[in-house]
Amino acid sequence: MTLSRRDMLKAQAAAIAASTVGISLPAAAQPVPGGAEALQIKWDKAPCRFCGTGCGVMVGVREGQVVATHGDMQAEVNRGLNCVKGYFLSKIMYGEDRLTQPLLRKRGGEYSKDGDFEPVSWDEAFDVMAEQAKRVLREKGPRALAMFGSGQWTIWEGYAASKLMRAGFMSNNLDPNARHCMASAATAFIRTFGIDEPMGCYDDFEHADAFVLWGANMAEMHPVLWTRLSDRRLSQAHVRVASLQTFANRTSDLADIPIVFRPGTDLAILNYIAHHIISTGRVNEDFVNEHAAFFVGQRDIGYGLRPEHPLQQAATGADDPGAMTPSSFEAFADFVSTYTVDEASRLSGVEPDQLEQLAELYADPDRKVMSLWTMGFNQHIRGVWVNHMVYNLHLLTGKISEPGNSPFSLTGQPSACGTPREVGTFAHRLPADMVVTNPEHRRLAESIWRLPNGLLPDWVGAHAVQQDRSLKDGDINFYWVQVNNNMQAAPNIANETYPGYRNPDNFIVVSEAYPTITARSADLILPAAMWVEKEGAYGNAERRTQFWRQLVEAPGEARSDLWQLMEFSKRFTTEEVWPEEILDSNPDYRGKTLFEVLFANGKADQYSMDEIDAAYGNHESEDFGFYVQKGLFEEYAEFGRGKAHDLDYFDAYHQNRGLRWPVVDGQETKWRYREGYDPYVTEGRGLEFYGKEDRRAVILAVPFEPPAEAPDADYDLWLVTGRVLEHWHSGSMTMRVPELYKAYPGAVCYMHPDDARERGLNRGVEIRIESRRGDMRTRLETRGRNRVPRGVVFVPWFDASQLINKVTLDANDPISRQTDFKKCAVRITLA
Amino acid sequence: MAEGRGAAVHISSAIVLVRPDRVPAVTEAINALPDTEVWHGEAGKLVVVLEGPTSRAVGDRLAGIALIDGVISANLVYEQVETVESLGEVS
Repeated sequence: MTLSRRDMLKAQAAAIAASTVGISLPAAAQPVPGGAEALQIKWDKAPCRFCGTGCGVMVGVREGQVVATHGDMQAEVNRGLNCVKGYFLSKIMYGEDRLTQPLLRKRGGEYSKDGDFEPVSWDEAFDVMAEQAKRVLREKGPRALAMFGSGQWTIWEGYAASKLMRAGFMSNNLDPNARHCMASAATAFIRTFGIDEPMGCYDDFEHADAFVLWGANMAEMHPVLWTRLSDRRLSQAHVRVASLQTFANRTSDLADIPIVFRPGTDLAILNYIAHHIISTGRVNEDFVNEHAAFFVGQRDIGYGLRPEHPLQQAATGADDPGAMTPSSFEAFADFVSTYTVDEASRLSGVEPDQLEQLAELYADPDRKVMSLWTMGFNQHIRGVWVNHMVYNLHLLTGKISEPGNSPFSLTGQPSACGTPREVGTFAHRLPADMVVTNPEHRRLAESIWRLPNGLLPDWVGAHAVQQDRSLKDGDINFYWVQVNNNMQAAPNIANETYPGYRNPDNFIVVSEAYPTITARSADLILPAAMWVEKEGAYGNAERRTQFWRQLVEAPGEARSDLWQLMEFSKRFTTEEVWPEEILDSNPDYRGKTLFEVLFANGKADQYSMDEIDAAYGNHESEDFGFYVQKGLFEEYAEFGRGKAHDLDYFDAYHQNRGLRWPVVDGQETKWRYREGYDPYVTEGRGLEFYGKEDRRAVILAVPFEPPAEAPDADYDLWLVTGRVLEHWHSGSMTMRVPELYKAYPGAVCYMHPDDARERGLNRGVEIRIESRRGDMRTRLETRGRNRVPRGVVFVPWFDASQLINKVTLDANDPISRQTDFKKCAVRITLA
Repeated sequence: MAEGRGAAVHISSAIVLVRPDRVPAVTEAINALPDTEVWHGEAGKLVVVLEGPTSRAVGDRLAGIALIDGVISANLVYEQVETVESLGEVS
């Protein structure tokens, strides 16, 4: 028998799959020798560009195109597996409607806000864009300029954007769409531990005795990590899984304790668990006495709505929502004592015995617990509080910073940690957890960036929701959006987002790979290179920094966001953007372009082209004449080295499968704050929360407070939005290609069959979902894997033809300013 | 993936994690799917090979497998696209 090429490829595919899980295939199923070579594919590593897990992918290129991918067996994160989204990895670059040249709205040969998109050269695009930016700077100054980026920016793209906005244009109006994704988690890390990001890592999956999923539907959203969790659950009989959701979903199926609770009542459940730990005498007193400090948080902090909104007017604590006052263990115990099991059950709708089983997972001193959460916690009007509350449980019991004991905040985007958080592209942040409001931090940044003292602005810029409001109100007039689809993703878009893009006073630029609804709402579209069309770096949810090379060419004139930022900076001189007094006292900077002072500054341009491996292209470096990525990375790394944010040297990351920071002497750190794992812990201390001056993590007393809006007589259902396995985020990549629409052709609304029956609605009918802000038509689904309880409906938000965010409310956490997409009131009628 | 150069064949493999008591039923369900074979199974882990004309066709099928009762997770391991010509099967 001769094997056909098809047979050989199938055998090859099977063999690779088998080897990832240590299975030996029977002889008949083994591939022919030399099979792999016969495929004539050149393989290189890259992290997946979809979610925050950070799976390693092997990318196979033949004749300049990606023709194959497989899970990287050397990648510790995923050990050869990729989730179903992996099928889209290379496909996303080859959609038929890929943008390949700049497009400007024109009428009569000139830019016109009400014109139609026409192809233009990069020169013309940047000429018009620079003219508009200069007009706005002249008329209103730096506060009228803003940029909106993302957790999909590579590390050096976010870094270049931060330099250009803060130091170049002297504006802190820079924010990422990560604001919608994990600002609450980041804020709570800083408030509790003084340093952002999880103390543990994915290795905790193989050490925990219990997993508690707070709203995270890991089976669909983090399938590779879910596989690690499931492997642990199935191979160790004592392991337990608790899954807390607002509707039963795929993750609930494996759970030993499947809990469905009323939206927003996680706050009450968490305070009850704290009370249970205390009242049953299971506080780890030695740990608490040595490592924790008790505080009381501000109450009644409002809902992040516009100040004139009645809910804001009524909120007594809205002026200083982040305030924390020192307190004591006794006061904390007294505070949570009102959250009895009956009270928590009354508020949440969960049976008391389920709550007790859940509380015991935390209270039992012999059980190691990993808590996991993502959007359910973070997209929450009390997102910061609810993050604090889970730390309360781990701190009261001392179950933290050791293998298997791990409060773990998952992320949604591939570099949400690596770029917005570590590089600091939030409106208030600088690299390595520094902030724009601290004069010493600004001075250090000015020194590392070789810029004049006093240049960097000290004001906190506009956050995501505020940017949209300010565009609508005409306070921000020049806006540059990169790597995200905010016209679909932002809340209450018809009232608060779209009007700002079309405001005649505003000039909107969107850098995109595809004509998304955001791009089509802009005045200028810049075609972007994506993923392996450029050299890149991402940082995943477990502090792992991962690099990849440019492996293929971007189509047409598409250029990376990095190239766009740097090339645009050449259009400005310091005289045009910096105040005269800065130039008077620093005359050396006169007459220079922003490119010269920000990027060709003698530091970011210090590595020559010779250092680039000749086997790979590198468009940015070829154009600018130096090894751009290395220069920017090494300059950036200076911020964190020696300050517990150490990154390894640039070249190392091109060889390894990523390392978890702090990386000291080439060694990564798996568990921070724990002696023996973390070199920053003082010898002999055992455990040390060194991010805090007093070395104590915060246990915070904050109450259950209700959501901004709840069902009432007029709008009688809870609306929860989220994602489904088949699609990812706004779907601008995964829904790109026409055939991709087939499987899950449009969003549907999941409703309980009894709620449907009461309204006389049959499965499959077209319905109208209506809130106080807007409405949307979709189809009704009463079956399937998402089983909502009565009174709740769930709508995925990926479908650009059915914009559920016309319905959602722009209420947000007043501390983190992250939007709550999970709780508002709607009514549903036959369309 | 690199398409548009004539008809394509996507060849792919996956690891499907199954509740131990459901292995026979899930295996049968997967083998009943078009262009899909369970090559081997061990300790609740099935090695599955999938073929199809597009990434989407194969991806949808794997997403469908993930939703079969008893399946805990279905993860892609390998995917390659070939033109029909390159397989030497065009007459």
